[in-house]
Amino acid sequence: MAQVSINGDDLVVEMEALEKLWAFKSRLVIPLVNVRGATADPGIAHDPKGLRAPGTNVPGVITAGTFHQDGERVFWNVRDRARAVVIALADERYARLVVEVPDPAATVALIEQAIPR
Amino acid sequence: MPDTFIERSSGGLSRRQNLRTAGRAYDGVSVEDFVQQLGVHRNSLYKVFGSKRGLYLAALRWHLEHQLPPLAERLAAGADVVDEPGLDLLLLAAVERAPVDVEVAALVSKAWHDLERALQLSPAPTALSAVLGERLRVRAGVRRP
Repeated sequence: MAQVSINGDDLVVEMEALEKLWAFKSRLVIPLVNVRGATADPGIAHDPKGLRAPGTNVPGVITAGTFHQDGERVFWNVRDRARAVVIALADERYARLVVEVPDPAATVALIEQAIPR
Repeated sequence: MPDTFIERSSGGLSRRQNLRTAGRAYDGVSVEDFVQQLGVHRNSLYKVFGSKRGLYLAALRWHLEHQLPPLAERLAAGADVVDEPGLDLLLLAAVERAPVDVEVAALVSKAWHDLERALQLSPAPTALSAVLGERLRVRAGVRRP
């Protein structure tokens, strides 16, 4: 589970204590100008995820860490796919973040309202 | 990403919203549905549109730019369009998304304005609210007695 918030002009994604171990990341700070949008997408967990490095992938249980797919890096931190949110980025280390959040609809609204279109 | 992809995705969505998913709420249509119905790659969709809302806005803009002007012309010529689904995407946008999305609200407001102007040119001028209301009745299967 990740906590997503907005701090000034940045999007902040904070991993919970134990997940820092699985995901090899505790906190991501992304300038809002590099955030392209957010979508609740439970179905994405069924898609191929590419090669993980570094990270943890126990199919059906947890997907966490950095995955490489089609020349892109995607950051995953999902256990309950029903609560997966995809955050698309531009000009960042990661092309996308796929994170589990407590309230997907609220996180999507928070991000979509905060980014300039 | 080539414009044709955007055109295919947003145009495809706009047309299909009229045909197949017109009865479903924005929240009831998932990215899974887009991926399966439009045959586009999920990652490409996020790369081009950023989010489901980004795709929805692109589809709505495509619809207003390509499909609404011919409809407005026909209204101006006095045609009856309430038996067609041409206004449905706009109606759904107005009901569902405009109250919670300022960008959708702005697009709907401009479309209302264009349609109102077209209706004033008609040989038998009608109020837009009457046309929209009639379309809602027809869509619901309820005809004026």
